[in-house]
Amino acid sequence: MAPKIAVPEKGAKKVKQPTAPSTASTTAVSSAEAPVAKADEIIDDSSNGPIYLVAKPLTIAEARKEERYYNFALFMVTILSFWTRFYMLYHPDQVVFDEVHFGKFASYYLQRTYFFDVHPPFGKLLFALVGWLVGYDGSFLFENIGDGYVQNKVPYLAYRALPALLGSLTVPVVFLTMKDSGYSLAACLVSAGLVLFDNGHITQTRLILLDATLIFSMTCALYSYVKFMRYRNSPFGRKWWKWLLLTGLSLACTISTKYVGVFAFVSIGLAVIIDLWNLLDVDRGLSLKKYAQHFIARAFALIVMPFMIYLLFFQIHFWVLSKSGPGDDFMSPEFQETLGDNEMALLSKPINYYDTIDIKHKDTGAYLHSHPDRYPLRYDDGRISSQGQQVTGYPHKDANNNWVILPTVDFPENDRLGHPVNGGDVVQLYHTVTGTYLLTHDVASPYYPTNQEFTTVSPDDARGPRHNDTLFEIRLNNGKKDQFRTKGGFFKLIHVPTKVAMWTHTKPLPEWGYGQQEINGNKNSQQVSNTWLVDEILDLQDDRLNVEKKKVKHIPFIKKWLELQIAMFRHNNALTSSHPYSSLPPEWPFMLRGVSFWTKNESRAQIYLVGNPLGWWFASCCLAVLSGVFVADQLTRRRRYYVLAENVRNRLYNSAGFFLLAWAAHYFPFYIMGRQLFLHHYLPAHLISALAAGALLDFFYGNPGVFPVAYHAPGATPKTAEKKKGEQVESSVQRPPTMYPPSSLISYLVSGVIIGFVCGVYWFFKPFTYGDPGLSVPQVLMRKWMNFDLHFAK
Amino acid sequence: MSSTSTKFSTLPAKDKAAILSITGLAVLVRLYKIWEPSSVVFDEVHFGGFASKYIKGRYFMDVHPPLAKLLITLAGYLAGYDGNFDFKDIGKDYIEDGVPYVAMRLLPATLGVLVIPLAFLTLKAYGCTTMTASLGSLLVLFENALTTQSRFILLDSPLVFFTALTAYAWANFQNQPAFQSSWYWYLFLTGLSLGATVSVKWVGLFTIAWVGVTTISGLWHLLGDLSVTPKQYAKHFFWRAVFLIGVPVTFYMLMFGIHFICLVNPGDGDGFMSSEFQATLNNKKMADTPADVAFGSQITIRHWNTQGGYLHSHDHLYPGGSKQQQVTLYPHKDDNNIWLVENITESEVEPRDLAPVYLKDGDIIRLHHVKTSRRLHSHDVRPPVTEADWQNEVSAYGYKGFDGDANDNFRIEILESKSKPGKAQQHVRAIDTKFRVIHTVTGCVLFSHKIKLPSWGYEQQEVTCSKQSTLPNSIWYIEYNEHPLLPEDAEKVNYPKVGFFKKFAELQKVMWDTNAGLIAAHNWDSRPPAWPYLRRGINFWIKDHRQVYLIGNIFTWWFSTASIVIYVLFKITTILRWQRGYSDYSLASVQAFSNKVGTNVVAWALHYFPFYLMKRQLFLHHYLPALYFSILAVAISWDVLCKNVLKYKAISTLATIGLLVTAVYIFVTLSPLAYAEQWTKDQCENARFLKHWDFDCNTFPNDISGYDASSLTNVSSVQASIVGESSSDSSFQSTEEVLPRDEL
Repeated sequence: MAPKIAVPEKGAKKVKQPTAPSTASTTAVSSAEAPVAKADEIIDDSSNGPIYLVAKPLTIAEARKEERYYNFALFMVTILSFWTRFYMLYHPDQVVFDEVHFGKFASYYLQRTYFFDVHPPFGKLLFALVGWLVGYDGSFLFENIGDGYVQNKVPYLAYRALPALLGSLTVPVVFLTMKDSGYSLAACLVSAGLVLFDNGHITQTRLILLDATLIFSMTCALYSYVKFMRYRNSPFGRKWWKWLLLTGLSLACTISTKYVGVFAFVSIGLAVIIDLWNLLDVDRGLSLKKYAQHFIARAFALIVMPFMIYLLFFQIHFWVLSKSGPGDDFMSPEFQETLGDNEMALLSKPINYYDTIDIKHKDTGAYLHSHPDRYPLRYDDGRISSQGQQVTGYPHKDANNNWVILPTVDFPENDRLGHPVNGGDVVQLYHTVTGTYLLTHDVASPYYPTNQEFTTVSPDDARGPRHNDTLFEIRLNNGKKDQFRTKGGFFKLIHVPTKVAMWTHTKPLPEWGYGQQEINGNKNSQQVSNTWLVDEILDLQDDRLNVEKKKVKHIPFIKKWLELQIAMFRHNNALTSSHPYSSLPPEWPFMLRGVSFWTKNESRAQIYLVGNPLGWWFASCCLAVLSGVFVADQLTRRRRYYVLAENVRNRLYNSAGFFLLAWAAHYFPFYIMGRQLFLHHYLPAHLISALAAGALLDFFYGNPGVFPVAYHAPGATPKTAEKKKGEQVESSVQRPPTMYPPSSLISYLVSGVIIGFVCGVYWFFKPFTYGDPGLSVPQVLMRKWMNFDLHFAK
Repeated sequence: MSSTSTKFSTLPAKDKAAILSITGLAVLVRLYKIWEPSSVVFDEVHFGGFASKYIKGRYFMDVHPPLAKLLITLAGYLAGYDGNFDFKDIGKDYIEDGVPYVAMRLLPATLGVLVIPLAFLTLKAYGCTTMTASLGSLLVLFENALTTQSRFILLDSPLVFFTALTAYAWANFQNQPAFQSSWYWYLFLTGLSLGATVSVKWVGLFTIAWVGVTTISGLWHLLGDLSVTPKQYAKHFFWRAVFLIGVPVTFYMLMFGIHFICLVNPGDGDGFMSSEFQATLNNKKMADTPADVAFGSQITIRHWNTQGGYLHSHDHLYPGGSKQQQVTLYPHKDDNNIWLVENITESEVEPRDLAPVYLKDGDIIRLHHVKTSRRLHSHDVRPPVTEADWQNEVSAYGYKGFDGDANDNFRIEILESKSKPGKAQQHVRAIDTKFRVIHTVTGCVLFSHKIKLPSWGYEQQEVTCSKQSTLPNSIWYIEYNEHPLLPEDAEKVNYPKVGFFKKFAELQKVMWDTNAGLIAAHNWDSRPPAWPYLRRGINFWIKDHRQVYLIGNIFTWWFSTASIVIYVLFKITTILRWQRGYSDYSLASVQAFSNKVGTNVVAWALHYFPFYLMKRQLFLHHYLPALYFSILAVAISWDVLCKNVLKYKAISTLATIGLLVTAVYIFVTLSPLAYAEQWTKDQCENARFLKHWDFDCNTFPNDISGYDASSLTNVSSVQASIVGESSSDSSFQSTEEVLPRDEL
C-alpha cells in the first residue's frame, strides 16, 4: 500500500534501479517471475542489489487445508467474541455513566422532540431504531446515573444488544483484516485475541454508548481498504469498485458517529495519497488520462460519497425531530419556527408602533426597568454620575417594566394603529409610569468606566435638546429588516449617536439601586450578550390578540444543516471543564488509569473502564519495536547495507507501515485537542496497535511473504502490466494456490503463550468489566495496578 | 563563494561600500527622532517597568526570559536611571520625571539597525549578488513594522536581531569545510545566538526548531555519504550536539542565574512562586515556626498544588447556595487565614489548660475561624462556581457560643508518601506534613483548584469539598503554627533551602502556565491567518493629535508572502514532474532556488504555523521573525530570477530599483505612524491602503496648521468619569496583564 517511502535524493537524475521491482503491486508478478525455490532458501539475484527471500508455494490441497484452519479459527474467535460481549448484558439494570446522554437522546428521537448534541446523528439514530423496533415510546429520560431500568420499563437489553453486537462483530473483522493482509494464522490470532480479551473494548461496547458503532465502522473501513488494495491489479473491476465504495461507506458511518472518525479519513487518506503518488510514477506507465480516472474514482468514493451519506443522516435527523424540545434554545428563531408546537411559532406576535411592551435580556432574564430614584451624585470610587433617573434590570414582572415603542416622527393622531416596527428602525422608548424617555450619553456607568450610563429624560428634553440621545436602532440578530416580533425577534438596541449597545450583567447594584442589575451601553456592540427580546405586548387589543394558528415554516435542508454544524463545533470547543476521570494522551498507551463508570455499595461491585493492561503494554511495545525496525532499516540502507530481503521489506512497509501510520493518525491528534479527554478515546488506536502487533510478530516468525497478496480478477488483466510484462501476466492465476503462509509450530507456541497470558489478565479484571461480582478489600487492592483509582479499596 | 565565510573583512570593496552606506542610511532612518514621543508607549508599560524592578531588585514575574529585559536595564542603568518611575500608563510623561528613556530606547534601536548589515551578509552567504543582497537588506530597512517595533522599549527588536544573527551564522556554517576553525566558530556562534534568541522570548524555540530540522536533514545527507567514516560521522554528531544543545542551554540558564542575582527583594511577582521559593527573598524569609501541631494550636493552612494561598474566610456571604460565609484561598498573609484546631468534644474558643495533644492521623477536628468565630463547614449544597454533582460547598458557619454540628467535623489523613520521612509521618507537623482533610459526614475531601470566584468573592480561589478529587488538589499543609502552651524551646521548622536548579525549574513551569493562561481577549490582538496579508495593526499610542500605530510595509509583506506562495507552487509542480520522469532538478538554477529559498521558507513556516496551535492572545508583532525569513526568501528568489531570467544587467537593475522605489514610497507614506509625526486627516485617510486598518484618522487635524492651535490643549486628558467621544482611552491596553489581584 505504501511502497517506497524513501525518495531518491533531490536534484539527482531519476534513476530507477533496474534490478529492483520495488513496488508492491509487482509482488504478484514477481512471484511468477522469481524462480521457484525451497522454503527459506535465499536467492541472491544480483551481486550488490536487493535480496529476495522466497518460499515454496503450497499445493492446492495444502492451501485448502490452511483455509480450513483459518475458517475454524475465525469461527471460534467469533463465538468467544459474542460470549465475552453478551455475558451478563442485563447487569447492571441501572443507568451507567454516559448512558445518561445516549439513552436520553434515543428517547428524544422516539418522542421526536428536538435536542442538541455535539455528536453527529448516526450512532444515536441506530439506538433510536432499536428502540422503535422493540416498540418503546421513549418516555424514560435517563436523568441520573443509577436510575433503575426495570421499574421504568426501559428495553435496555435491546439497547445494549446493539453495541454488544457491533462490538462482537469487530473481533472477526480484525481477524479478517489480518488474514486478508496475508498474515499467518498465528499472527491473526494474536491481533484478534488482543481485541477479543480486552476489558476496555468489552466495557465500552456493552453499554449504551457510541464507541461500539465508531470502532466497528472504523475497523470495517480499514478492512475494506485492505480488501480494495488486494484488487489493485484489476482496477475499475467489479470487486475493486465494491470494496472502494464499501471503504467510503464505512468511513461515512465512522464520521457520522463521532467527529474523531475524521482520523479514519486521515489514515486511509494518507494511504491513498501514497498509493496515488506511486501510480503517478512514470515507470508505472499510466497515462495521465488513466491516472485522472484513478484519482476521480477515489475522490468520488472516499470524499464525495461519504459526504453525501453524512448529509443524509442529518436529513433523517431533521426529519425525525419535528417537534419542539430541549434543543430549541441552541438554534436561531428561524430554525425554531420549523419545529411543531414551538413557543416561537405559536406565540410570536408582530409589534406595531405605540404598543406597550416589556423588554427582556436574553442571558440574564432581567426586564428593562426604570423607577423614579436617581443615580447618586458620587460613586464609591469618586467618579460622578449624571444624577439622572435610574435605569436597571429587574427580574420580575412590574408596571415599571412597561415601555411604549415610539416612532421618531409621530404619525398623525388618527392614524397611529397598525404601523409595523421593522428591523433597522430607529425608535424612542417611553417609560409609561414616570413619563420619561430612555436615553444614554457619554457618562460612565456605575460599575464600568468604559461603558455608558443609561437614564431617562423628560419629554421636553426628549423632543428638544436631548432628542438625538434618545434615538435607538432596533438591530435584529439575523440582520434582516423583517417585522419586529415578540419572543422570536432577538435584537440588539443600538444607540444611534454613539453606537453603543444596551447591555446588562449579573453584578447587583449597591443599595441605592435596590440590588437590581446595572444597565449600561457596551462599546463592543458585537458581543452576543447584548441580545434582548420583547417578552410580550401589554394591553393588546387589536386583532393580533387572536392567535392565528401559524403554519410550521420550512427552511432548506442545507441552511438548517449549516446552522447546526456551526453550533455543534462551537459547543464542542467549549467542552473544556475538568472531569475527575479525564486523562491525557501520554498516559493511554501505558494504561495508567481508568474511568469509574458505576458502583454499587451493597455488593461492593463496580464497573471500571480499564484496558487489559498486559494487552495494551504488549501492543505498545510492538509499536515501539516496529518503529525501531523502520528507523534501523532506513539508517542501514542509508549506509548501503541491505539487511532485509526486498519482498519482506515491502510487506513491512506496505502493511505494517500502514497500521503504524493509522495508529499515529488515531493517536497524536489528541495531543493538540483542548477539550477534556478520556481513556476510551484511545480504543480505536488500541485496536490498530493490535493489528500492528500481529504484523510485527509475523515479521519475527519469518514469513517470507512471497505469496501474492494482490490478485487479478478473471479477465481483467491490466493493460499497462500487459505492455511491460508481456505473456507472463496472461498466465497468472486467478486465485493463486499460495494464498496462505504456513505457520510454524514455534509461531503457534509463541502466539498461544501471548494469548494465554492476555486471557488470564482479562479474567483477573473481569469483575470490573461486568460489574460482578463485588470484591473484598484485598481483592480490590490486588487489582490496583499502576494508578487505577478503584472504589472499595478500603 | 562556497567555502569562504562572509565576514565584513573578507568582502570585496564594492560590498564594503554597499554595506557601509546601507548601515549609515539605517542609522538615519531608524534613529530619526527617537526621543519622540516623550511618553510611555504601549508595552513600555511592562518592559520599562521591569527595568525599574531590576534596578530596585524587586521580584517580578514575566512570561518572557530575562535577556532583553536585562539589556534594557543595563542601558538605563548606565544612563543613570534610578528605577523610581513606574511606567504605569500608556501616555505617562517621561521628561518631567527625568527618565533616561532615550538611552533605553537606543538599545532595541541599535539592535534593529544591526539587523540590516546582518541581512546583507546572510544574503551574501547564500551567494546573492551585491545588488540583490542590497535589495534584501533595504527591504528590511524600509519596513514600517520593524522600524516601529525597534524604536521603543520592547522585546521584539532584540528577538529579531538574535534570530537574524542565528540565520547569518547558520548560513555561513553550511559553507565551511568540516572541522576547520571557521566551521567551529560558526557552529559556536549559531549555538550562542540560539541561546540568546530563546533567552529573549520563547518564540526563539521556533528558531531552535529550524536549526534542528536543518541539522537533522544535514546529518541525514552525511549519513548517505559513504566517504564519511563512522568515526568522522560521530565527530560531526558530537560537535553539533555540544554547540547546538549544550551552548544554548548553558547560556539560557546563565541568564536566569543573573536574573535571580538581580532580584533579591520581595515584589509583586511573589504570589506566583511556591512558598519555598518566596522564602529565599529578603524580608520574606519566614520566621521559624514551632513544628508540632496540637489541639488548641492556631494555624494557617496552605494549599499544596496551586499558588492560591491560605485557607481563608472573611465576613462576606455566598450570594447563592447556602448563603453562608465564604471560604476561599487567599494568597497573602492576613489574620483571616488563622484557624484554631478544636477537639470535637470541646467548643470553647480558648485553648485549654492541658498539655498540648499532638494531632495524629485519623484525628477528628473542627477548624474554628478566629476572626469571625465561625467553623469550617460543609454540606450537600453545590459550590458557587463548579456546580458538579461530586462537589459540595464549603462555608464557615456558626456564631460565638454555638456548639457546632456534625457537619463541622473533619478528619485529618496524613499522606505519608508526600510528608517528610520521620516524625512528620507520625503526627502533624508544620510545613513537613502533607495531609488531606476529610469531611466525616459526607466523606468528601477539602479541595481547591485554579478557579476563581467572581467579583463577590474578590476573585479569590474557590474552595470546595470534593467526592472525586484528584489527589494533588486536595493536599494541604500547615505553614504557621502557634500554641500558648508550647514551651519556648520547642522544636522549630522552616522551609527547606532551594538551590538554583530548583528555582530555575520552578520558574520555567510558572512562566509556562502563566503564558498558557493569557487567553483574555485584547482590543488589538489578531490571529495568525491575518498576518501574512497584514489585515490590521496595533494602536500603540495616541496623544496630542499624533499617534503610533504598528503597521507593516504592505508592499514588502505582500511581495514576500507572494514569493512563498510561488515557491510552494513551484515545489509541488517540480515534485510531481519529477515523479513523471522530467529532469528539472538537473538544472543548477532550479536546484539553487529549491535549496536556498527552501531553507528560508522552512524557517518562515516554523516561525509562523506553530502560532496556530497557541490559544493565548497573539499580536501582529509575533509575525516579525517569520517576516524576516520571508524577506530573505524573496531576495534570494529575486537573485535567482535576475541571474537566470532577467539576464541583461540593465533590465535586472531597473527592475530592482523599481521594487525599491515602491517599498520606499510605501514606507514614507506610512512613516508618520511610526515616528508619531504631525499629519492631516486627508493624508491619513489616503494612507489607509486596506479598509480594515483601524488607525484613527479623526485624531489628526484637517490641516497641518491645526497643530499650532491645538497643541496647547491636551485633549485626551478627559475627566476620568466621562467617557470622551474622541479619546479612545478605554481601547488602550498594554498586553499581558499578569499581575495578581489583591483583595479589595
